[in-house]
Amino acid sequence: MKGLARAFHSHRLALRLALLVLLLILPFILKESWVSLANEMLIMALAGCALNIMLGYTGMVSFGPAGLYAVGAYATAILLTRYHSSFIIALIGAPILAGIAGVIVGWFCVRRSATYFALLTLAFSQIIWTIIFEWYDFTGGDNGIVSIPIPEFFFTISHCYYFTLAVVGACVLLLWTIIQSPFGKTLQAIRENPGRTEFIAIPLKRYQLAAFVLSSVFLGVAGSLYCVFSGSVFPDYAHWVKSTDMLVICLLGGFYNFTGPIVGSVVYILLSKIIAKQTMFWMFFLGAIIVFLVLFMRNGIVGFLADKFSPVTDPAPGSGKDGGGR
Amino acid sequence: MILETQNLVKSFGGLTAVYDVNLRIQEGELASIIGPNGAGKTTLFNLLTGHLPLDSGRVIFQGRDITGLPPHTISRMGIGRSFQRLNIFPRLSTFDNVQVAVFSAQRQSRNLFSRASKLARRETEAILDSVGLLDKKGVKGGLLAHGDQKRLEMGIALAVEPTLLLLDEPTQGMSPRESAEITRLIQKLVKEKGLTLIFVEHDMNVVFGISDNIKVLHQGRIIFEGKPEEVKNNEEVQRIYLGEEKDAWSSR
Amino acid sequence: MTFEAAAGQALSGISVGMVLFLIAVGLSIIFGTLKVLNLAHGSIYMVGGFLCFGFTSALAQVPGAFWWTLILAPVVVALLGGVIEILLLRRIYAQDVLYQYILTFGLILILGETCKFIWGVGYHTVSVPWPVNGKIPIWGLSFPVYNLFLIGCGIAVFLGLLALMRYTGLGRMIRAVTFNREMANALGINVPRVYTGVFMLGCWLAGLAGTLMPPMSVVALGSDMAVIIECFIIVVIGGLGSLPGAFLGSIILGLLTAFGIYIIPKLAVAFAFLLMIVVLVIRPWGLMGKPE
Repeated sequence: MKGLARAFHSHRLALRLALLVLLLILPFILKESWVSLANEMLIMALAGCALNIMLGYTGMVSFGPAGLYAVGAYATAILLTRYHSSFIIALIGAPILAGIAGVIVGWFCVRRSATYFALLTLAFSQIIWTIIFEWYDFTGGDNGIVSIPIPEFFFTISHCYYFTLAVVGACVLLLWTIIQSPFGKTLQAIRENPGRTEFIAIPLKRYQLAAFVLSSVFLGVAGSLYCVFSGSVFPDYAHWVKSTDMLVICLLGGFYNFTGPIVGSVVYILLSKIIAKQTMFWMFFLGAIIVFLVLFMRNGIVGFLADKFSPVTDPAPGSGKDGGGR
Repeated sequence: MILETQNLVKSFGGLTAVYDVNLRIQEGELASIIGPNGAGKTTLFNLLTGHLPLDSGRVIFQGRDITGLPPHTISRMGIGRSFQRLNIFPRLSTFDNVQVAVFSAQRQSRNLFSRASKLARRETEAILDSVGLLDKKGVKGGLLAHGDQKRLEMGIALAVEPTLLLLDEPTQGMSPRESAEITRLIQKLVKEKGLTLIFVEHDMNVVFGISDNIKVLHQGRIIFEGKPEEVKNNEEVQRIYLGEEKDAWSSR
Repeated sequence: MTFEAAAGQALSGISVGMVLFLIAVGLSIIFGTLKVLNLAHGSIYMVGGFLCFGFTSALAQVPGAFWWTLILAPVVVALLGGVIEILLLRRIYAQDVLYQYILTFGLILILGETCKFIWGVGYHTVSVPWPVNGKIPIWGLSFPVYNLFLIGCGIAVFLGLLALMRYTGLGRMIRAVTFNREMANALGINVPRVYTGVFMLGCWLAGLAGTLMPPMSVVALGSDMAVIIECFIIVVIGGLGSLPGAFLGSIILGLLTAFGIYIIPKLAVAFAFLLMIVVLVIRPWGLMGKPE
């Protein structure tokens, strides 16, 4: 195992390049349905990474990320259908509106911690769901909004895929930069010991709110991407079951590692599709997997692997740490 | 006078934890607060750092009334603290533990885009060096030995550049040798950085060894204060301690 | 709205509230004592509903089938709860609320699909049993006797639980464990067994609710999801862990839903969430809970 670990580390750069190449040539080597699946995986990966800012890095357990995700999706949908705005505006509007929603929701939720915080996020996301569901005139109610006028360019699956890849790639890079910054370190300190951070002159609630808003913005981008991808939006985008999907993705991949949600997204969506093809009771197996995860693999896949593959001593800080860990 | 408190009162339900506490601490002073368990020492610290709201009274720091200010503001103004029960960031490395505090001191915590590993390295390593943890900078905080975690505690507290440092039982759980080391460290740091120190201690060696001034807290009230010799010889103080720490006392 | 109509609406709301109370009180007790947020509680209720259908169908030839079912089904559900507690929940007690949420969500999927497997995807009905079928004229409206029966059950259970908690040795043990687990342990109380017992009690209550509901409604998949969020709201408003709180919260929610439909029909549901938010922000331990 150690030999494998060392090989993995010394060829990190090569492996990453290989992955990049693979992602770029994907549409040429896979069938369209698989490319579409990959598209979905990328979007959920972004949603997972966004949620993980709060969850894994700041230690704030939210039960309601889907609410902000749906705000992004509906923002793009409504801007395109109702206000006939340009595509760019519709795209940019999503994270902005999701961010604003994040400020409002976050301000209330952050006033409490742990269980109460989680319940507040749940309540707010259900309010968002209810508003979307009931406000028929504006949001189409439970019919959702379909046939959204996205540019014809995106009707081709591979075009859509590359677009998603570009946006998700840029966002993930941005998130990675933020995590590596002093701000990111401060968030992690908050996760480790929120009370202590006030003793080092950090206004705790303000930073927690910032993490919440940051999460919301990128969740909004993910929602917007899905709107473009599927051409329609539905109230269920805001439902707490969707939130749970996102939480499971983070847990499955491992929320103490940056790449965790990405791995989690790939595995989760893959598993769901594969199992769904085999049996109509696929949710049973999903439930069983989830239970297994919580009981036996709490650090997720990447966490599990990181334990096995981590170097004998921790690398010294500032010496260029392995990209997948911390 | 760097710190003054006026008639501090704090109760929890029916229990009065702190009553009519008046402190006057001079700059550069090494003051200690002693008293039996439950005397209200940690509560007093929590009141000073803004973590508990006062029932009544005022706290004046460097001439400014800081009563009711939020904890992070008080921390920013220069009151630092270490804790009785360990209060570090366990999953962060020793280096990161201190670096996060240095970032705060440098107002860099809001920096979203620079790479943290490239910033504040000199300052962080200097602090680690001054508490004797430089060689362990890569170790996760939670994996350090108890004594080293105490040093880390102090390192974190120092990193925010306090002028007044509140130490809550710095030698708790330590062997005599470790206690002596920590005490030397405290003295060195106080001199190097010109700090004012208020510490709570049970180890009388430490208390009598380095304090300029001792205050005795009992059931929330300061019942006596004075120089070490005066405190040692005071009958009431001896009486209060006789049940609790007879050995520690009689060995003086 | 006339007084009669309002009263009728109120009674209707309260009877729905009582069924919700039976489910929510289990959730509240489980959270109060075990400190676990059991997302699968709605699913356990649903299992109760399916068992109600199953037993009443199987016992169709037996006179008083429903009443036998009322005794049997909740017990079966309680046993199921015991299995869940021992095999699964025990391992996550000390963990963060995140794991509880996700684990119990996994349980929702498992239980839901099992019901689907056994009973299929269609609706099932259970007829209102004698002697509580029929209607009674109240304030000029024809009110189903069964609804009154439900209100009666809710009150009976509430009083029964209060008596259990306050006057029995078992209740004292439960309260001791709720108050301070370590101390109860030191006093010689078998804490794990109390935990199992409390969880089974909570499941029994949910199973009872599941058995009582079908004559008034239908047995169908998806009732677990419909009910769990409302239970969360009740428990938060009333106070996590408070018995009277759950009762009060259920009545409030029942009335809110019944009348909210008249005021702003579309957003009646949002009212409940708003109330939940207000409580969480201003007084998170609920109307009748105790601050930590």
